[in-house]
Amino acid sequence: MSLLEIKNAHLKLDDKNILNGVSLSVNKGEVHAIMGPNGSGKSTLSYMLAGRDGYELEEGEILLDGISLSEMEADERARSGLFLAFQYPVELPGVGGMSFLREAVNSRRKFLGEEELDHLGFVKEARKEASKMYVKDEMLKRAVNVGFSGGEKKRFEILQMAMLKPKVSILDETDSGLDVDALKIVSDGVNAQRNNDNAIVVITHYQRLLDYIVPDFVHILSDGIIIKSGGPELALEVEKNGYSGLINAA
Amino acid sequence: MQHSIKDDYINSIKNYTNQFEDTNFRRIACNDFKSWPSPREETWRLSRLGSLSRKKIKPINPNLKKNNNNTSNLVGSTIIQFIDGAYREDLSSKLPSGVNLSVLSDSESLKYLQKIKNSNLSDHPSTNVSLSCTPSIMKLTVSKDTKVKDFFEIIYEGGEDSQSVHPVLYLELEKNSSLYLIERFNHLTSLAMPLQLIELRNKASLNTIKIFNDSEKTYNLSANCVYLSKESYLNSFSLIKGGIFTRSETHAYLNGCNAKLNLNGVYISCNKQHHDLTTAIYHDVPDCTSKQIVRGVLGGKSTGVFQGKVIVAQDAQRTDGQQMSRAILLSDTASANAKPELEIYADDVICAHGATVGELDDDQLFYLNSRGVPMDKAREILIKAFLEDMINQSVDNSLHDFVFKEAELALSSIITKEK
Repeated sequence: MSLLEIKNAHLKLDDKNILNGVSLSVNKGEVHAIMGPNGSGKSTLSYMLAGRDGYELEEGEILLDGISLSEMEADERARSGLFLAFQYPVELPGVGGMSFLREAVNSRRKFLGEEELDHLGFVKEARKEASKMYVKDEMLKRAVNVGFSGGEKKRFEILQMAMLKPKVSILDETDSGLDVDALKIVSDGVNAQRNNDNAIVVITHYQRLLDYIVPDFVHILSDGIIIKSGGPELALEVEKNGYSGLINAA
Repeated sequence: MQHSIKDDYINSIKNYTNQFEDTNFRRIACNDFKSWPSPREETWRLSRLGSLSRKKIKPINPNLKKNNNNTSNLVGSTIIQFIDGAYREDLSSKLPSGVNLSVLSDSESLKYLQKIKNSNLSDHPSTNVSLSCTPSIMKLTVSKDTKVKDFFEIIYEGGEDSQSVHPVLYLELEKNSSLYLIERFNHLTSLAMPLQLIELRNKASLNTIKIFNDSEKTYNLSANCVYLSKESYLNSFSLIKGGIFTRSETHAYLNGCNAKLNLNGVYISCNKQHHDLTTAIYHDVPDCTSKQIVRGVLGGKSTGVFQGKVIVAQDAQRTDGQQMSRAILLSDTASANAKPELEIYADDVICAHGATVGELDDDQLFYLNSRGVPMDKAREILIKAFLEDMINQSVDNSLHDFVFKEAELALSSIITKEK
């Protein structure tokens, strides 16, 4: 059974068809990359999966580990093990990084029937994971994403991923706004979390990220539908010929 | 002539005033109270006193010496109690050295009246009614070079339905002195009209926290007049959460160079409460700074008002005046009004103002939801953060928890109701 199954997903925004029958199966231990030009529906797909209001499916189904997500709100999906790393992480003035992480982790633990971590235990765990992502203590004391650089925001996203231990992570253009060094840190963080029990879906414009997070499968999204699937070589083809060649051929 | 309830109140004030011997200042004030402000007056247009003027109210008799001691969670090392509008030495602490509290004489009271009358509070109902009816004007002085280290707390309590209460305070910080003052308004009366005149001499520094938490039927019309001399500093934070109608009006005169003023406030309103923060800041001389941040959270059918005026005189070059108000509406039936105004006659100034009224941010809610935090909890986190952020930058570190808990008590009832 697939860990994430998207079946014939159709979605409209303001009466405009954005997703036109996306289907995708992601198994445990796999990394999939979804590539596509601007306006192909990549970010819509990630919001739809995460359960954002207004991004409900017109038709089709999504299953996480065999359970339908359609009737679940965003918070239930997250607690069930779906994680979205935002393209533009949202600033939360006044909400401290550490207490935000603790709220998120304890929501997930509660759902899994695990005991909530006490303050000290949590801080210890958070610091350990944070140091791996080069997230300094001082950053965890600040308000979430407020005054963070582009790189800090993305590192903080991956730190959340590490602490929440989701079944499926969707990384929405995680490479945007990153310089080469930051890209390497973030990718190393993601790679460290690859294992045989989870799966990762990387959404990106560029092949560049896929040099660091090497996918098992690459899919090309165009006009709200996957027009071609293949191995990592497909990403290189995009890099060489652009999207237009693939789209015209399809 | 048609007899109305309004006349009843004026008559009751006159009768009440007659009992005092020091009557000169009272007579002037009493004659100047003609009626409640009409909604046609611009500064009362958004805060109407119609239902107050229809109430039967009489000034309270503070001589009954009740022992209301209802305020808990005290944080001050020195506690001063005003019960039924009268200072109660028997219930108050001993004053620290360098601090003096005394009753103003008749002639000093006349001078007090003149100072208030020279300000734009001269027609405020609390000016005239409270100067007519106050048991006495109390003067708190911090003498030259005295830095009061511990927190100083004044509690205003007492009263019953159908009564009005009139505490009047004169606070003077002499040259190079400092004080941290916490004031708590916990009246049970129908009407409370606290009146304050604050004078900060050169290099004096005053921090104040005012917590308005009167009973659910109280109208509180607090009026404050502040004069800031050269290099003096006032950092004021108000938390308005009680009463059916609370309006805190402050007129601050920056008339010494390099004076600095922060006038921040938070209101938390639910049910049919009406909360109003009205301020006027007069930059009369060069090189002064004023900063104002106001935040409101409203639920139920409540209304919030922020009216802030900054007036920069022609000579007040290099003024820095900032004003920002934000209100969050948690229900469809709550409303918030913001009226920031700038009047600038000098040409070399930095002045900015802004006001927003809205709901909680959808992107922020979704971000929290996407991390597994349920909607109710996400709303609570964002509302608390909205206020905590503001409290943290306005009050001393050691008072964060105290002030935030006071805010949280009011918030919890709104958040539960608006689920």
